[in-house]
Amino acid sequence: MVAEVPSSSAATVSTRPSGRRPNPRIVQWKRTWYFLRRNTLAMVGLGIIVFLVFVALYALTQPYPWTDLNNYCAYTPGSGNFCAPGEPSVCVYTPGTAAPAPGCYQTPKQFPAFIPPTLTFSPFATGPLPLGSFIANVQNPGSLQFYNLYQGILRGADWSLMLSVSIVGSGAAIGLLVGAISGYFGGLVDEALMRFVDVMLSIPQLLFVLITVAVISQLAIFGDSLATRMGLLIAAFVVVWWPFYARIVRGQVLVTREMKFVEAAKASGASAGRIVRKHIIPNSVYPVFVQMSLDVGSVPLLIGGLIYLGFTTIFPSNTFPEWGTLSALSVNPSVLTSILVNSELNIQVYVPWWMMLFPGLMLFMFAISVNFLSDGLRDALDPRLRR
Amino acid sequence: MRMWIYVIRRLLLLIPVVLGVMTITFILVSGIPASERCLAVIGAPPTHGGSAALQAYYAHCDSKLGLNHPIYTQWAIYMGNTLTFHWGLVGNGSTAASVIPVIAGQPVTTALGWLLPYTIELAIFSLAIILVVAIPLGRLSAVYRNRPIDQASRVMSFSGFAIPTFLLGSLALIGAVLIITNYHWAGCSGPYQEMYGSWPKQGCMLGSSASNNNYPLWLQFGTVSTPTGFPTIDAALHGQWVVAGDTILRMVFPALIIAYGSIALLLRFVRNSMLEVMNLDFIRTARAKGVPEAVVVKRHAGRNSLNVTITVLGLTFAFFIGGFPIIEEVFGLQGVGRALALSVQQPYDLGLIFGTTILFTFIVVFANIIVDVVYAFLDPRVRLG
Repeated sequence: MVAEVPSSSAATVSTRPSGRRPNPRIVQWKRTWYFLRRNTLAMVGLGIIVFLVFVALYALTQPYPWTDLNNYCAYTPGSGNFCAPGEPSVCVYTPGTAAPAPGCYQTPKQFPAFIPPTLTFSPFATGPLPLGSFIANVQNPGSLQFYNLYQGILRGADWSLMLSVSIVGSGAAIGLLVGAISGYFGGLVDEALMRFVDVMLSIPQLLFVLITVAVISQLAIFGDSLATRMGLLIAAFVVVWWPFYARIVRGQVLVTREMKFVEAAKASGASAGRIVRKHIIPNSVYPVFVQMSLDVGSVPLLIGGLIYLGFTTIFPSNTFPEWGTLSALSVNPSVLTSILVNSELNIQVYVPWWMMLFPGLMLFMFAISVNFLSDGLRDALDPRLRR
Repeated sequence: MRMWIYVIRRLLLLIPVVLGVMTITFILVSGIPASERCLAVIGAPPTHGGSAALQAYYAHCDSKLGLNHPIYTQWAIYMGNTLTFHWGLVGNGSTAASVIPVIAGQPVTTALGWLLPYTIELAIFSLAIILVVAIPLGRLSAVYRNRPIDQASRVMSFSGFAIPTFLLGSLALIGAVLIITNYHWAGCSGPYQEMYGSWPKQGCMLGSSASNNNYPLWLQFGTVSTPTGFPTIDAALHGQWVVAGDTILRMVFPALIIAYGSIALLLRFVRNSMLEVMNLDFIRTARAKGVPEAVVVKRHAGRNSLNVTITVLGLTFAFFIGGFPIIEEVFGLQGVGRALALSVQQPYDLGLIFGTTILFTFIVVFANIIVDVVYAFLDPRVRLG
């Protein structure tokens, strides 16, 4: 069937099957990528995200425990060792005295909270405390509990990315479905669904998450494992999040359904389900991508806020390795109180800057890179803003 | 369509939304186990007396909470009480009551009335900072698109969004103590005392006429200020200008951090709507007929890009009145956000949960309507469509 091909295209060298136009959606993606590539900040953001994904993949290969921050038992030499045999432990001793044994960490007696990272300050050290340690027992501030910051940050890459992507992904999927149905069918269905969305959106977001977490953390009907609690946390966020997407998608669908190709599909006898699936959703999905890339960065920030406000009950162990959690624990009120009280008593204070800096830095990098990317996406997808 | 028909239609649409929100709150709180709710309302169960005492305890709790009615009756009672502003009492044994003792046992409406003005004032300050910075900067970054100033404003606004507010606030407090005051924080003066709490500590009311520098009569317990509840206005009304200035000083850091954290949204909206307007025909006409570029940007494009900005501004303000749980917690401010964060910590405060949810819903819904009406007023296409 060479006769169908116009003679001009036969002369040009083309790798694609001659005579067939490329899929317009792929053309659109290529165009978007072209505009995105010229946006420096968006490319920086994309680079950081790729880097963080590699960190998360690297963390998966490490032998660290997946679920918690590898708590260390702390003991004071001479007072008897209360650590179980084989348990990872550190020993603390008063400054001015000689180190009782190698591997002991010098700590001001009145203020045993912080061990400065000068001892083994190397991210690649494999000792018990490579990147500093810290008391993080919020529920029982009197007891010593150490965690390994390096492992926490590494493992936190997994958890933070996993939680963000699953929360935002599920929320967007539900919102896409509801928004597409509501926008396409209109009428009574639209009225009912959109009033429900209005209701959900009218409840303030943080309050909604707080109450939902408070309620579902009580349910515990599926047992009390970490996986269950993670599932419940994700569910609580999804409940709050999907209405945003539903509203965005509906607005977009109202525009899309008036397009000629939908009319053509209708005329050729496509069913409503097929039109929604094949024509409406793929052509209304771009604003959702922008909003998703924006929201992904705010999930660890929100979780950190919850932990800061005292919602440690959602996690079985308060030393859960997630960036928001690590960041919130590093400035929790008991830490601030000890810094203040001891500084007034003229006791030398180690401000655990490394505990505040590194988790905060990871959070910052993650959130700002997705913001750059989504801003670039918005510019690239919106022809009015492109010029 | 006439303007007032539009307004009435919007108001009618409000009814199902409010009823829906109340129902959802009711369902959520019903999910909290009875034992937890009893703990919040009538205190811990009896430790001795056997099962008979325990039964009496739960019977008392059930009658107090209305749990002995079927669920639909509970719902009806709840709706009736809420719509008549009987929002219940703040529990005596709840976390909120132990942290803010003044509100323990008070009606929820009274407690929220004490706490809300502080949050509103803080919201106004934050919004003022955002407005002053975002609108000129947004216009500049639209005019100088993808040039250094646009990139700089982008980095600035997004970095504010990306730093957790609790971290920034805590760092400000630690910095004030350790760097500025050289490790001393107690006493009545110094950066920390000026930054922590919505009022000076007990015994530190400098400039007040009361003896012993204790709280004066118009400021009971350091929480309830009369007559308006707005701290600065109350202090000024009582002629205590030092205290009035002090209350403003205390809001500087929280307001700056809030503004820094949420400036990105408004800035991006101003920039993008400005970009859209700058591509329209009437801008080209204005340039063609020789209007100076500064006037084109400021008057032709600037005014026409304000429609969207006002929408975002109104919704941001409504969102702000919903409280700043984290910032208020960090800086120890007695606002409504703190009450909300405390109300959902065990032991729960059901009255405060219901009260704050409904209050914020009303605020958000009414703000939506006001914004829509203002938008329709500014842009006739909306109300005709």
